[in-house]
Amino acid sequence: MLKKLYHQFASPKTYVVLVNKMYPYIFYFSLCIYTIALVWGLAYAPADYMQGNSFRIMYLHVPASFLSQSLYLVMAIAAAVFLVWKVKLAAYMIKSIAPIGALVTFIALVSGSIWGIPTWGTWWQWDARITSTLILFIMYLGLISLHGSFTNFEKADKFISVLVLVGFVNIPIIKKSVDWWSTLHQPASITLTNKPSIDPSMLYPLFFSMIGFSGLIICLVILSSKVQIFNREGNKSWVKDHV
Amino acid sequence: MFDLFKLELFKLRKKLRAWLGPILVFLLITISFPLTVELASDDLKNVFYSILWIASLLTVMVSVEGIFLEDYEDGTLENFSVANDSLFSMVLIKIFIYWLLIGIPISLLGTFFSVSMTGEMSSFYIALPSMLISTYIFINLFALGNSLSLNKGSVLGALITMPLLFPILILLGKIVLNANFGFEISNLLLLMLGVLLLIIVFIPFIISFIIRTHLE
Amino acid sequence: MLEVKNISFSINQNRLFQNLSFNLSKGQAIHVKGSNGSGKSSLLRILLGISSASKGEVIWDEEIGKVFLGHKNVLKNHLSVADNLHLHGLDVAHPEVRSILKDLNLDQKAELLVGNLSYGQQKKLALVRIFLNQSSVIILDEPCVGLDDQTRRLITTFLTTELGKNKSIIYTSHIPLELPSSEVIIGIL
Repeated sequence: MLKKLYHQFASPKTYVVLVNKMYPYIFYFSLCIYTIALVWGLAYAPADYMQGNSFRIMYLHVPASFLSQSLYLVMAIAAAVFLVWKVKLAAYMIKSIAPIGALVTFIALVSGSIWGIPTWGTWWQWDARITSTLILFIMYLGLISLHGSFTNFEKADKFISVLVLVGFVNIPIIKKSVDWWSTLHQPASITLTNKPSIDPSMLYPLFFSMIGFSGLIICLVILSSKVQIFNREGNKSWVKDHV
Repeated sequence: MFDLFKLELFKLRKKLRAWLGPILVFLLITISFPLTVELASDDLKNVFYSILWIASLLTVMVSVEGIFLEDYEDGTLENFSVANDSLFSMVLIKIFIYWLLIGIPISLLGTFFSVSMTGEMSSFYIALPSMLISTYIFINLFALGNSLSLNKGSVLGALITMPLLFPILILLGKIVLNANFGFEISNLLLLMLGVLLLIIVFIPFIISFIIRTHLE
Repeated sequence: MLEVKNISFSINQNRLFQNLSFNLSKGQAIHVKGSNGSGKSSLLRILLGISSASKGEVIWDEEIGKVFLGHKNVLKNHLSVADNLHLHGLDVAHPEVRSILKDLNLDQKAELLVGNLSYGQQKKLALVRIFLNQSSVIILDEPCVGLDDQTRRLITTFLTTELGKNKSIIYTSHIPLELPSSEVIIGIL
């Protein structure tokens, strides 16, 4: 029974069918949530005591940086699955997530810079969190160019999986860097153990924006993964029915 | 295993430009530095360690570029994988020999310079172990990057390796900072040694997998 | 010695060959035939264990030593002939090595850089390793390319002797080698 489950989930065909069904729901749901979050956060949440109105870019910046690390985590799991169980779908996922990961990291970096100008007077600083995020961005670029430089896709899949896993050492460093250095970037306001240090009136729109933004990015991932699957499995018979 | 060591040593030894060149580059950097900055200033003493390991980083990067390329192109790697299950031993020995012929000389030169620059014997205990360990780590990491981009040029290799260096650079940076302030660095050195031991075991294994995939 | 069961191989969704089966026993030679790009070299690499087949099994008996000469010569151009032989564990001063080099007309060239030899001479040097190898299985991919008739006859003689010693040979060659007991595998693609 476990084998049947495994075959189901590992099959690109099942994945595409499932994803096609769920896509409209995810998309509209996330769009709603994120719109609510933005409206609430941009218009109704009170201005910050110290930062004034500029803090509102947080509703873009925080979800983006959260996602940049989470997407890498997803890729790392997919890489492990691919290398151990040779599930091709996992490799397609890595290839499809990489550009989107680069995108959200870029958004995080740029929104962070924009946030920095009115708040701290500088748009860049070589502190721990910012530098680590830049490194993460370079890692995504490295993954994209690595896979793109090979014409033999089977080899490219293995290489990209290895690189994802080797680069995974950077993720704990990025997450922890804010705790190890106390520099420009503010320390984490929301942790698993402590009470959040951020006011509820700003916290709730933040949660909504996290969920909404994540949902929208998931939609992007779904689209990207479908492109990958159709590209790679193009000559199989079921593809024509689902494009 | 020892035969393999002798063979690889023979190969690198004969290729003078592969190991003497980088050593000379390193020498050039460490000599030009005091020539272009005022010798007696205190700033020089503080910055010197940073220059030292940046120079060693760049030198290692340039020298490890062709570590697998020649053997890949002329079929030596292929031949080895026919006769042996895993390329682990060959990669391990190759990396060790690169460290022997490039890493150790650079570390000795760098230590010599740091002692002469700072005028204190204490810098000997800072520079030598940190350079010996860090050059070995760098060689491993650059070898990994170069194995991934085996036929695709060095730009890709540099792009890939850069993020992997990040943790080591942080550690080295802490060591340099502590050294400059006169703090204890032995615990950080032990940490770096631990990282090195992990790397020595895992990286050749990973590189072996990568090269075997290339050969398929 | 070798059993191949129903192997298929494809690159990037292009199927090169499928359901290929054959056996190899001691003292037998197999000539792999097919047009250019039909997958002959790929088949050899699968048999060697460098590549793996998409489907099917390749089963070798126990720990059989194989020696392989493919398109790459495994020679370092910037080292001399003697140094290159040293890299393969062969000493130029050794009488056996000397006699092979003499047969191949390379004995006067021991100190020359391999990069300065002609294409055919480099190929001949690459063969020295094969001639002096003790492995049970010899696998050759286009061994006669660029070689004169005399050398080709030398190769044929050597391979025939090896077959007599109960060794096995698998080779691809567009140029016919006239080996006894050579089984032809046709129809890769």
